[in-house]
Amino acid sequence: MNRRYEDMLDDGMERDMELADALASLDPASHDPNYWLRFRSWVMRSAARELAHRRLMTQLTIGDVVQSWARALVPTAVLTAVVAGLMLIHGGTLAPPRPISVEEMLMRGIDREALPTTLPADPSPDVVTFASEGF
Amino acid sequence: MPSTRSFPTVSINRSEPLSDSELVRRAKKGEEVAFGLLVERYQRPAYAVALSVTGRHEDAQDAAQESFLVALDRLEECRSPEKFGGWLMTIVRNRSKNLVRRESLREMEEVPPGARSRVPTPERVAETSELRALLKEALMDLPEVQREIVLLHDLEGWKHREIADRLDLPCGTVRSHLHFARKALRDALRRLATEPEMLRAAR
Repeated sequence: MNRRYEDMLDDGMERDMELADALASLDPASHDPNYWLRFRSWVMRSAARELAHRRLMTQLTIGDVVQSWARALVPTAVLTAVVAGLMLIHGGTLAPPRPISVEEMLMRGIDREALPTTLPADPSPDVVTFASEGF
Repeated sequence: MPSTRSFPTVSINRSEPLSDSELVRRAKKGEEVAFGLLVERYQRPAYAVALSVTGRHEDAQDAAQESFLVALDRLEECRSPEKFGGWLMTIVRNRSKNLVRRESLREMEEVPPGARSRVPTPERVAETSELRALLKEALMDLPEVQREIVLLHDLEGWKHREIADRLDLPCGTVRSHLHFARKALRDALRRLATEPEMLRAAR
């Protein structure tokens, strides 16, 4: 049975007008003509916020997103850079001696005091200590 | 700044019917007109389905209205926008069932044990149309699926094919449900109309 024929059958043969009339009394608009208008208005009023949110989400561009990130990201980055700079300036003099290999020491010498006068009780196994012990 | 940007005006030519999927696509973007058209298109069937479950105007109205808001919130979950109607009716049915469940729990808490659970409420007593009251009673005696089908077909004017698509049932099943629902309704109405009111109240 094709669809068109089914629809014709649906519309013509089986419409029970008496029952349809009785059921029509269940339609709220049968005793309140503006009912569906009010129904729709209520739904639309309640949905206004969600719809506005969706509009906003659609309108946001990549630039907007980057801009919103930048608001938090830039001050944080500046602050981090300042702190790092200060640490470099103040921490520069406290830098540990550069490790030096035996060959390098023999070829170029040592800038600072390389041979400790007394070895520490627990000598650390770095290259300078090894070299001093070797000599 | 996004918040100060003016949004482009949405215009939909209302003379040409837009498909559900197109309206859903636009509603996802927050277009009020598109969502409004979906509400306009489905408010009556949604109410009919809710009424078929709850049997009360106030509950049906609440369930149907809330279902539209739930549908809007979950629009991304609507996998087949062309079947928005069926998806919405599932939401309506579930919300209506939840409402009935909550109501019956509240009634069980409020009504003292032994009292009749279907005491006519003041609203029910004050119902203006006797026919409406009879009809509701007759409808509530039908199985839920038959109530839904007879309301969608005979009240909302949906075709068998549409109901079958939306309820995910074979067309023949819809026809058969409709046939039995009508027969039961006619019989019930005839019986209720001739039955004395005292007897009816005692039922």
